[in-house]
Amino acid sequence: MLKLNNISKYYNTGTVNEMCLFQDFNLTIEKGQFVSVVGSNGSGKTSMLNMICGSIPVDSGTIYIGTENITNMPEFKRQRRIGRVYQNPAMGTCPHMTILENMAMADNKGKSFNLRPGTNKKRIDFYREILKALGLGLEDKLHVKVGVLSGGQRQAMALLMSTMTPIEFLILDEHTAALDPKTAEVIMELTDQVVKEKNLTTIMVTHNLRYAVEYGDRLLMMHQGTTVIDEAGAKKAEIRIEDLLARFNAISIECGN
Amino acid sequence: MKKNLKICFLTAMTAFLLSGCSGQQAPSESPSDGQSYTIGIGQFAAHGSLDNCREGFLLGLAQEGLVEGENLTVLYENAQADGGIASQIITNFASQKVDLICGIATPMAQTAYGVGKKQNIPVIYTAVTDPVAAELAGSDGVPVGEITGTSDKLPVIQQLQMIRTLLPDAKTIGILFTTSEVNSLSTIEEYKASASEYGFEIVDMGISTTADVPLAADALLEKVDCITNLTDNTVVASLPVILDKAAKKNIPVFGSEIEQVKIGCLAAMGLDYVDLGKQTGKMAAAVLKGEKKASEMNFQIIEEAAFYGNTKVAKDLGITIPEELISSAKELFTED
Amino acid sequence: MTLILGILEEGLIYAVMALGVYITYKILDFPDLSVDSTFPLGAAFTASAILAGVSPVLTLFLSFLAGAVAGCVTGLIHVKLKVRDLLSGIIVMTGLYSLNLRIADGRANLPIFTKETIFENQFLASRLSSSLSPYTIVVILLIITLLCKVLLDLYLNTRSGYLLRAVGDNEALVTSLAKDKGMVKIVGLAIANGFAALAGSIYCQHKGFFEISVGTGTIVIGLASVIIGIQLLTPENGASFLSHFTKKEIRPTTAVIIGSILYKACISFAISMGMEANDLKLITSILFLIILVVSTERRKKVKLHA
Repeated sequence: MLKLNNISKYYNTGTVNEMCLFQDFNLTIEKGQFVSVVGSNGSGKTSMLNMICGSIPVDSGTIYIGTENITNMPEFKRQRRIGRVYQNPAMGTCPHMTILENMAMADNKGKSFNLRPGTNKKRIDFYREILKALGLGLEDKLHVKVGVLSGGQRQAMALLMSTMTPIEFLILDEHTAALDPKTAEVIMELTDQVVKEKNLTTIMVTHNLRYAVEYGDRLLMMHQGTTVIDEAGAKKAEIRIEDLLARFNAISIECGN
Repeated sequence: MKKNLKICFLTAMTAFLLSGCSGQQAPSESPSDGQSYTIGIGQFAAHGSLDNCREGFLLGLAQEGLVEGENLTVLYENAQADGGIASQIITNFASQKVDLICGIATPMAQTAYGVGKKQNIPVIYTAVTDPVAAELAGSDGVPVGEITGTSDKLPVIQQLQMIRTLLPDAKTIGILFTTSEVNSLSTIEEYKASASEYGFEIVDMGISTTADVPLAADALLEKVDCITNLTDNTVVASLPVILDKAAKKNIPVFGSEIEQVKIGCLAAMGLDYVDLGKQTGKMAAAVLKGEKKASEMNFQIIEEAAFYGNTKVAKDLGITIPEELISSAKELFTED
Repeated sequence: MTLILGILEEGLIYAVMALGVYITYKILDFPDLSVDSTFPLGAAFTASAILAGVSPVLTLFLSFLAGAVAGCVTGLIHVKLKVRDLLSGIIVMTGLYSLNLRIADGRANLPIFTKETIFENQFLASRLSSSLSPYTIVVILLIITLLCKVLLDLYLNTRSGYLLRAVGDNEALVTSLAKDKGMVKIVGLAIANGFAALAGSIYCQHKGFFEISVGTGTIVIGLASVIIGIQLLTPENGASFLSHFTKKEIRPTTAVIIGSILYKACISFAISMGMEANDLKLITSILFLIILVVSTERRKKVKLHA
C-alpha cells in the first residue's frame, strides 16, 4: 500500500514565479491496484511519480509504503522496492553494454554489486527464455550492444529489466509515448501481461486515453495538483474515452484556453 | 574515404615510429684529425642565465680544441620545464649514441644521470645549485657515478658585503622565492645563517605561482629596506613587476646575476654564467678526450663573484656606488 | 634500438596512468583533472617512502592506495558537496600540489639515485645476465602494465565493474538498480587516480628522482593516449582500422596502452626532428583535433548507412 499524506510541493520557491503545484494532496493506492493516470501537461502527473520515487523532494507531507515512512529516504534506496520505466527508451538500459550485460545487471538488483563475475553463466538460459517471450528476436542478440536496438526493443528490455527482480511497485512514466503506434501496442500488452503475472501494484501515467480506459482497475485524472476523477472497480470500467475528453474540454474552458 | 583517411593517419604514425629509429644518422666524421665527438645538450628551461651557460659551455669546449661544426657535433634540446619531455630528450640523445650528455639545470642533470648510467654515457652538468642535495655527488663532492659538473651556488657572503657597502643604514633584506624551488630554499638558509654577521635581518616571502608575485611584492616592500633576488625562476620571470613596485617606493632591488642588473636591479655580486659554462666545457673536454673520467673529478663552484652595477638605477635611487666597486665591476650598465 | 626501448619505457609508464584516464574520460564520462596531481603524488610518496626504507614493490601498492584516496576526495567533493566535475578535479589538483611538496619533505626535488628500486636491485642484479639488461626495464614495465590491464579488464566484468560502466552510460539506470550512483563514481575516480599514482610511482623509480613539475600536462598525455588508442584501434559503432587485418576485436584497455606508446613515439619523433618543446603542445592539440574529427566523421557515416 502506498500512501501520500498532505503533500505540498512548490516550484521556484522565493521567486516571483513561485507556483504551488500540490497543496494538501492525498492519495492512497492499495496493494495490487493498477492505476492509470491522465491529465493535461503541468497537471502534476510526473511530479507525483517523481515524489513517490524520490527524484524530487516534497516540501511538506509524508509518503508511506505500508507502515514505513519513506519521505526522506534517498531515491536509490526506494528503487529497491520500485521498478520504473521512463518515457525515453534510452533511460532504462545502458547503450554501451550488451543485452546480456544489461540483463545480468538487472538480475542483480537488490543484491550486492561485489567482485563476483558480472554475468552469472548459469542464468544465461533464463535470460534467453524471457527475452524469447518478448517475441522480438532479442534472444539471438545477447552480445549485441543495446545502443543499436530500436526504441521499441529497448523499451521492452527496460520493462523486462525493471520487473525482473521482486518489486512492490511498478511506475510507468508515459512509457509508450515515444514509440510508434504499433510498437506502443505491443509494449502496452506486454506491460499488462507482466503486471498480471507478477501481481504488481502499478501506477501508469499516460496521454493515451484509450490505454487509460482499457488497462488498469483504477483511473485518476489530475488537474492543477488535484484529482478531478478518481474511479475504481466497476465504476472505472464504465468510463469511456468520450467521458474523459469531455472532462478535458470542461477543464480547458475553466482555465480560459 | 574516411577509412582511407584513417589508414593514412595510422600509417603516418607508424612512419613516425620507424623513422624515429632509422632516421638517426651516425655523427659525420670530422675531416681534421679523425677524432670527432657528438654531444647532446639538454637544457631544462629557456632562461637568460641558462642560455649563457650553454654559450659558455661551447666556448669552453672550443678553448680545448673541440669546435662545433669541425670536430664536434652538438645536439641541443630544450625541455621548456616539462619533466616528461626532458626524459624523452635524453633518451633521444642516448639513442643517437652521443659521447657525452650535458644537462643544464637540476632536473635535466638528474634525468641525464638516470639514463646515462644505464647507457654508459658520461654526464656533465651545470647550473645545479646543490649537487649534493640532488644526489649527484656525495657530501664530500665526489660524484656518485660518471657524472660531474659545476654548481651555480650564489656567492651569498659577497652579496651581503656588497649590500652593506651600498646601504650602510639598511636593516632588513627581503627575499621573494617560490616554495617549490629547492635551490631557493637552500640559498635562503644560507642568507639567514650569515645575515646577522653583517647586521641584517632576512624577511622571506614564499609564492607558488607567477600570479602571486604582485601581491607578495607589495606585502614584502612594506617590511624591508631593500630586496635581493635569487635565481628563482618564477620570481626572475616577474622581476619587472617587482622592480616597478620597488622603484615607486624608492627601495633598491639587488640582483644575483648580470641579466637581472641589465633589466634594472641596482647591483649584484654574481656569477658569470658564461664563465661557469666555460669551466664546465673544459671539464667536458677532459672527459671527451679521455684525460679524466667524470667520476674522477669533483664538482666545481666558481669561488669568485664579480660585481655588476647599474649606475642609472643608482642615480634614480640617489645612491652613489663607491669608486672601488665601480673599478672592480665586471660590467656596468649606464642606461635602461 | 635505444630509442625504441626508450619510447616503450615511457609509453608503458604513462599507459598505466592512461588506463586511469580511460576510466574517467571514457567510462565515467568525468573530465577528471586530479590526475595532474595524483601522478606526482605517487612520485612524491614513492621518493619519500623509498628513502624511509619501504620496499620498492610495496611502494607501488601504497602509491596506488594514496592515489585512490585522492580520487575519493575528488569524488566526495563532486558527489557530496555537489561541486561541478571539472571544478572538483581542479580543487584537488591545486590542493595536492602543496600536499605533494609536504610529502616530499618540503622539497620540490627528491632524488633516490642511491636507493634500490623495482628496476635496480640486488635481486635483479643477481638473477639476470648483463646481456639481457637493456631489456630488463621494458620487460618489468610490460609485466606491470599488462597486469594492470588484465586486472582492470577483470574488474570491469565483475558486478561492481558493470555498475561502473553503467554509471557513465546511464546514471538513471544505476539509480533504478537501487544503487547510489555517487558511490559508484567515487569508486571509479578512486581506481582511476590509483592508476595515475601508480604510474607516478613507477615514473619516480624509473627516473631516480621526484620533481614537483612531473605532473604538468599528465591529463593531456592521458587523454591523447586514450583518444589515439580508442579512436584508431577499437570498433566504436563501426569497423576499426585493425579490422582490415583481423576479425578479432581489440579491447579498449589494450588500445589505450598502444595509444600511449604511439603518443610517446610521436613526441619522440617530433623531438628528433628538431621541434621545440614549446611547439609540442600545439602539435599535440592538432593531433587531438584530427583524430576526433576523423572519428566523428566516420560515426556520422555509419549512422547514415544504418
